[in-house]
Amino acid sequence: MMDIATLHSIFTVLVFVGFIGLVVWLFVLKRKPDFEEQANLPFADDQKPKQQQKQESDHE
Amino acid sequence: MSQTKSLNVDYNYTVVRLFAVTTVMWGIVGMGLGVLLAAQLYWPALNFDTAWFTYSRLRPLHTNAVIFAFGTSALFATSYYVVQRTCQVRLFAEKLAMFTFIGWQAVIIAAVITLPMGIGNSSKEYAELEWPIDILIAVVWVSYAVVFFGTLVKRNTSHIYVANWFYGGFIITVAALHIVNSMAVPVSFTKSYSVYAGAVDAMVQWWYGHNAVGFLLTAGFLGMMYYFVPKQAGRPVYSYRLSVVHFWALIALYIWAGSHHLHYTALPDWTQSVGMVMSVILFVPSWGGMINGIMTLSGAWHKLKTDPILRFLIVSLSFYGMSTFEGPMMAIKSVNALSHYTDWTVGHVHSGALGWVAMVSIGAIYHLIPNIYNQGRMYSIKLINTHFWLHTIGVVLYIVAMWISGIMQGMMWRAVNTDGTLTYSFVQSLEASYPFYLMRFIGGCFVVTGMLVMAYNVVKTIRAKDGALEPVAEAA
Ligand code: HEM
Ligand code: HEM
Ligand SMILES: [Fe+2]
Repeated sequence: MMDIATLHSIFTVLVFVGFIGLVVWLFVLKRKPDFEEQANLPFADDQKPKQQQKQESDHE
Repeated sequence: MSQTKSLNVDYNYTVVRLFAVTTVMWGIVGMGLGVLLAAQLYWPALNFDTAWFTYSRLRPLHTNAVIFAFGTSALFATSYYVVQRTCQVRLFAEKLAMFTFIGWQAVIIAAVITLPMGIGNSSKEYAELEWPIDILIAVVWVSYAVVFFGTLVKRNTSHIYVANWFYGGFIITVAALHIVNSMAVPVSFTKSYSVYAGAVDAMVQWWYGHNAVGFLLTAGFLGMMYYFVPKQAGRPVYSYRLSVVHFWALIALYIWAGSHHLHYTALPDWTQSVGMVMSVILFVPSWGGMINGIMTLSGAWHKLKTDPILRFLIVSLSFYGMSTFEGPMMAIKSVNALSHYTDWTVGHVHSGALGWVAMVSIGAIYHLIPNIYNQGRMYSIKLINTHFWLHTIGVVLYIVAMWISGIMQGMMWRAVNTDGTLTYSFVQSLEASYPFYLMRFIGGCFVVTGMLVMAYNVVKTIRAKDGALEPVAEAA
């Protein structure tokens, strides 16, 4: 039977591996343009270039 | 009336407006109470020998007013604003959102009434309110979560912007902290006893207290930072990748550091050591986040010269950096042996609270008010600049006074003569601190004056005719 300390150790290792996995995923696997799009989300609902605005209102 | 047509979406700004205005109002009340406390420590006669005016009753009123009335209102206002605008969708369950406003104000008013009456659990710092109020808090908070996450679910964007991750983490964690720490057995309507006892009670309390700092005063306001800094600077955050690492590292680490509030107590030694180590590691993601925020300005530093709102936001980040450098240092047991119980802790608190929390909130509110009231800018940019300097001078006076006083207290308390007796009596150290209490009082007056200037500016902006205030021309 596993004792609580072993469980905690396993948990700690899992968290650590998860974190390293996250960093690898972010910096190695994911492409930069994805993040550029996300980083621009605060500006996505701003005044858009005039033309684009028109197009959008055409769709409404 | 209060639904503003933005480009594509009708946002609900009603609740945002209410919370934004109450932020300013409670800011004045809470910080005004801080000044009163500072004055009472210098002129003790200011309690007028009245029970409900004593320091011990007003102190929790100050902490509740600044953290839960001022700070949390700012978080409500900005999170409802940011989640709508970055998800390009109207708020979910708008009636429930209105309930969170009314419910939260009721909580604050209940606090304003009960704490001076001496009703509350004074052994739980930052969780003093009695059980009926605790239940109301829990109900409001769950409603908040429903509104916030409901809005995320019905979003019109494919991604969830990082600010919302921080807000979401803050909302979930605060719910868990509050419910676990407030577990109590009521004996009457105004009295209850915690279900925890002894060292467990202490550990639960500081698991709560520390993570309230970590998730309310830090993660919540970082959510604010990740939206308003890029927005005010007009450029996306320096590194989106870094912001994701920042989020997960904070979440993973903060929870383990609470025992740094209980060094040299009955808590098991290893628990204290874990808290110390985790606190020191916490320095890394904290500074990563600070650098990420500040570097957002790279290539546009000149904007700091002309834009006092941006200055509020960026200086708040440098105070965030300062307090997250100071914190890990104070978490080292040998340093804590000096700093604990002294004014150094109070200085650390206010470099986080007045420097980071208040400044980032003030900056965000200045950005938000014109946007939700159909104006291009605040009524007076000059007055924002005045506020910036009043606040900065006030905070610096406060923190410097507490550093000097705190370190002096620590040194005097531990000084021993060759025969092992104490060199100084407690009163001697109190006398030495005295001038610095005056300095803090003066600093506090600067800060509150700044808040009053802000209130004037906000009222003028709200009262102006729709669209009358033209946006400032971009310096490019
Ligand atoms: C004008 C501004 C302010 C002044 C003059 C002020 C003053 C004070 C004073 C005199 C104390 C008691 C210190 C003691 O017992 O030795 C205190 C405690 C505290 N204040 Fe403030 N305060 C101000 C603003 C704020 C703000 C904006 C926040 C939070 C956002 C805040 C959070 C706290 C906390 C958490 C404590 C308890 C500290 C501890 O237990 O170590 N204060 N404040
Ligand atoms: C890496 C980040 C941080 C670490 C490791 C840290 C560490 C500490 C330590 C060691 C103490 C003193 C405990 C004692 O001796 O009683 C303390 C107190 C405190 N800190 Fe921090 N701190 C950090 C950041 C912050 C920030 C950013 C804020 C505010 C926004 C803050 C607010 C507080 C408060 C309110 C207390 C006083 C608690 C009390 O005794 O009432 N801390 N912190
Ligand atoms: Fe802490």
